[in-house]
Amino acid sequence: MSKAIKAEFRKFFTTRLWWGMLIAIVVAGAALAALFALLFTSDTVMRGDGMGVPTSDADLARTAFTSGIGVGYLLTLAIGVMTVGAEYRHKTITATFLAEPKRSVVMGAKTILLLVVGAMYGAASLLASVATGAAILSSRGHEPFADPEIWRTLALSLLVLGLWALIGLGVGILIPNQVAALLIAVGVAWIVEPIVGAVLPLSEIGGSIARYLPSQATNATLDIQTVGFGGPVTDQLPWWGGALVLTGYAVVMALIGTLRTVRSDIS
Amino acid sequence: MTAASAGTPSQSALGGPTPAVDPTRGRIEVRGLTKRFGRFTAVDHLDLDVVPGRITGFLGPNGAGKTTTLRMLLGLIRPTAGTATIEGRRYHDIPNPLTVVGSALEATNFHPGRSGRNHLRVLADAAGIDRRRVDEMLELVGIPAAASKRAGGYSMGMRQRLGLAGALLGDPRVIILDEPANGLDPDGIRWLRGFLRHLASEGRTLLISSHLLSEVEQTVDDVVIIANGKRVAQGTVDELRGDPTAFVRTSDPDRLASTLAGRGLSVARRDGGLRVTTNDLAMVGDLAHAADIAIHELRSEKTHLEELYFTLTDQDQYRNRNLGDAEGTGPGGPVDRELGQLPPPTGRPVERPQPPDPDGASGETGRDGTTVGDSAPTRTARQENGS
Repeated sequence: MSKAIKAEFRKFFTTRLWWGMLIAIVVAGAALAALFALLFTSDTVMRGDGMGVPTSDADLARTAFTSGIGVGYLLTLAIGVMTVGAEYRHKTITATFLAEPKRSVVMGAKTILLLVVGAMYGAASLLASVATGAAILSSRGHEPFADPEIWRTLALSLLVLGLWALIGLGVGILIPNQVAALLIAVGVAWIVEPIVGAVLPLSEIGGSIARYLPSQATNATLDIQTVGFGGPVTDQLPWWGGALVLTGYAVVMALIGTLRTVRSDIS
Repeated sequence: MTAASAGTPSQSALGGPTPAVDPTRGRIEVRGLTKRFGRFTAVDHLDLDVVPGRITGFLGPNGAGKTTTLRMLLGLIRPTAGTATIEGRRYHDIPNPLTVVGSALEATNFHPGRSGRNHLRVLADAAGIDRRRVDEMLELVGIPAAASKRAGGYSMGMRQRLGLAGALLGDPRVIILDEPANGLDPDGIRWLRGFLRHLASEGRTLLISSHLLSEVEQTVDDVVIIANGKRVAQGTVDELRGDPTAFVRTSDPDRLASTLAGRGLSVARRDGGLRVTTNDLAMVGDLAHAADIAIHELRSEKTHLEELYFTLTDQDQYRNRNLGDAEGTGPGGPVDRELGQLPPPTGRPVERPQPPDPDGASGETGRDGTTVGDSAPTRTARQENGS
């Protein structure tokens, strides 16, 4: 297993994907943190009483620091898709399975890779957004680390990015065409699923379902207030509930992917 | 029998300690291997044996099922029926398989953005192989300069060499290569021949697939030919090649036949001419001249192996089944009839052409002068007519 993990890590760090993604995730983290920190501390927003607008220092910090995670999880989702999608596309999966014919071992190694890489990107993203956000917030007279719970949020966002990468792993296997898999995965996660999540709470039953959607589970994990068409969602899952639901998605997707890979013919 | 084992017959009789050399070592064994994709039978009850120290050519037209067979042997495709084992084990059950079996399947199996060296390092990591070996292999296959460039920019020949380097990384006893000569220039093919010969001389097992007979005929010792997923022939190249024959057309076939027969050559009538079992055209011409017989045509014929393979590749029903619909190629169809009509090769293994020396050539007359007839079944046992 350790040999397979080592091989997976070398695979990941020997193409340009990893640093391209790293740049994207750091830039997104810094830019969005700056944007939200400036926006929510601006006079217009502070004076208004808009729904879901953070007012306390703790909420401000949380919003600014986690603003990059939304883009971050889309990127790690894409990494998850490509980790296996590229292997099928370039047929390197043949060499992979020749070196380690126990395919579940390979999939296990990929799972570990993605969790670690997700956390690594999470750390990079947070470093960028916390540095930027904290600088702006303190310059505007707000206390960036007023609430110690912010540390829990930051730690969990590392996990969140890894879990989204695992969801991507499953998608990459279920949709064999890498380009289609990428478009569908990102399209659904970025546009379709949030819209569904926003529309569902308009009905009572829908609202109870909506909080189990991946994006809302992600928000719950990070203590981010989800805002739907019906206003702020009030019955969000607790942070540990959100984390469990999201882990559930990741486990199911990675397992489905593994089962399919183990059974399929590689030609 | 070595002296040691002969000296202790009781031990081996008791079946006690296992012999020093595992009898399955380096052997590939395929039995009844079958793969169906839906209604399409890609590989059909294939039997195959490959032994160490020899190069075995796995021949067949494109789409004959070669790659599917190799992929089943390597555990990438699950057989519908039958077994394919290397040293008595399925690929899946071989611990750290890269150190036992090295293979290169397609020359395109590289991530275009990863350098050749890193590609090999990934494999080395996966098999726990020292990474110094990576540079040794790059050196060995002759692409050290390209090693740090991204594989996407490699020529076909460089890809083949990189694939070969990957196959040899684990210093395997068994080497399986799918179309290794594809994309190599003539120099590269010559290099490959010498290289493969060297590997075989080290006692390794080599299984080389190809759709071109000419590409491997000079390289391999043994040949397995498949068509439409079925084995058509298996044997050594010498066996399958048969004796060389010459075709001669003349104004007086009866007299020429008796003249040639008088020199101990075996002669058969065919297509209004004579088929003579010899590779010495000069001698045939000289004999005819001496007997004052006019010759209208005199040429070497294809060897049995060439003819067999030509029949397989030249006719529609053996063309790539993957390209079009293969209706009309029913079981027991034209394949078997055509192959049945082929002349069986005769005689023992032949030496390569000798200098044209009538006396030297007539020395061959000591051979069993089996007449090459239309139905002489001397070698048909090697031609499986399906079933």
